[in-house]
Amino acid sequence: MAVLRPFNKLPELNSAVLLLVGSEGDFPQKLAETILQEKRDFTVNIHIATSLPLPSERDHLRPRIDMIVFMIDIKNKHSLKNVEDSLAHVDARFFLGKVCFLVTGVGRVNCCSVDMNAVWKLGENYCSPVLFCELELEGTRVSTAQRLLRMLQICAGYVPGVSALYFNTLMTSFS
Amino acid sequence: MAECIQDVIGNLFSTIDAKEELLGECESIWKLLEECQNQLLLLGTETLLKSNAKLSLLMTRVRALSVECHQWQNRCPELSSNNPDVLVKLGKHELQKAENDLEMMLSTVESKNRRLEQDLKRQQRWLEEQEKIVDALTQIEQEIKAQVEEISQKSWKKALLRELQKKMLQLKTRKKDLLNTLSKFLEEHFPLPIAANKILVSKLMDTPHEPYVKINDSFWVPYIELLLRCGVALRHPEDPNRIRLEAFHM
Repeated sequence: MAVLRPFNKLPELNSAVLLLVGSEGDFPQKLAETILQEKRDFTVNIHIATSLPLPSERDHLRPRIDMIVFMIDIKNKHSLKNVEDSLAHVDARFFLGKVCFLVTGVGRVNCCSVDMNAVWKLGENYCSPVLFCELELEGTRVSTAQRLLRMLQICAGYVPGVSALYFNTLMTSFS
Repeated sequence: MAECIQDVIGNLFSTIDAKEELLGECESIWKLLEECQNQLLLLGTETLLKSNAKLSLLMTRVRALSVECHQWQNRCPELSSNNPDVLVKLGKHELQKAENDLEMMLSTVESKNRRLEQDLKRQQRWLEEQEKIVDALTQIEQEIKAQVEEISQKSWKKALLRELQKKMLQLKTRKKDLLNTLSKFLEEHFPLPIAANKILVSKLMDTPHEPYVKINDSFWVPYIELLLRCGVALRHPEDPNRIRLEAFHM
């Protein structure tokens, strides 16, 4: 079974699982480290994949995934294609607030080799928020980590009264 | 009041009861969760085609949102527990949390106040320094102004002196010019009497038989008169226009 589904497993107590999909060198790793350094009152589990589908042989070991972040590097035109291909292996119900696109490297717009309109279109078509950040800068990396952590907290259901879909509707209707 | 609460919590038996009750509640919630999970697993997977992703997603979202909305509308506020021990504990926990938050807030505000006070002191010191600088600068300005006045007076005097010197020089040259012109004029119109003397002497020496000289315009009339009065020259006994030198040598 190659398609990623939300709620396919029982949750673990007080823990949330984030899946980072991106093929841009050590940026996913760096971002994951920054997220794990943030203060929070639940356990965070981060899985990193260069693309989807995930290998099915380790499926039984994998916890329930609460949120997927697709990373697109604007300096690498293959990253957009990679993300678009990976989206085919995600269940439609994940797009009810549990997916977000993270555009990285926006500090180097002069090196941009990705069609930004295509990125906007992607976010619009899949009803998911598009975040922009520069992971090479400590400040923006930390603030992006905080944003993602907050979204993960909502996606995992740890914020009473706010569902992933509700939050996602708020975010996408204002962007 | 606080002691009373402490007493209630200190009651070990009732706490154990409360704990068990809570655990029982958790168990039933977990069971419900498992049931929901099983139902969810029965749902098939559905992936999106890139071409119609937006439409089908929006349809799903509308369904999901209306269901969520319906749920919210029908939801009743749930009581966490009826057990008084649990409620007291929960209340205490909440109060403690609030207290912690407030303490944190207090310390933050205090540190901010301290920082602001320091800022204020620094700013006041800075203001004093600036005022001192302004005083010093005004003093310097006044001194410089006085100096400038003095210098301008001096230079005015100097300029006056220079002008006077210049005028004097001009006057001197003018005087020289005038003198020159005058001497030229005199030379031209009133030649020196030496000329007449010379003519008289040379006439007497050259032609002792005919020493008379005819008076012409080049002779200065007053001088001739003087010579005649003093007896240096003599008039011709018949012709008043001719004179001769007195023969001193004979």
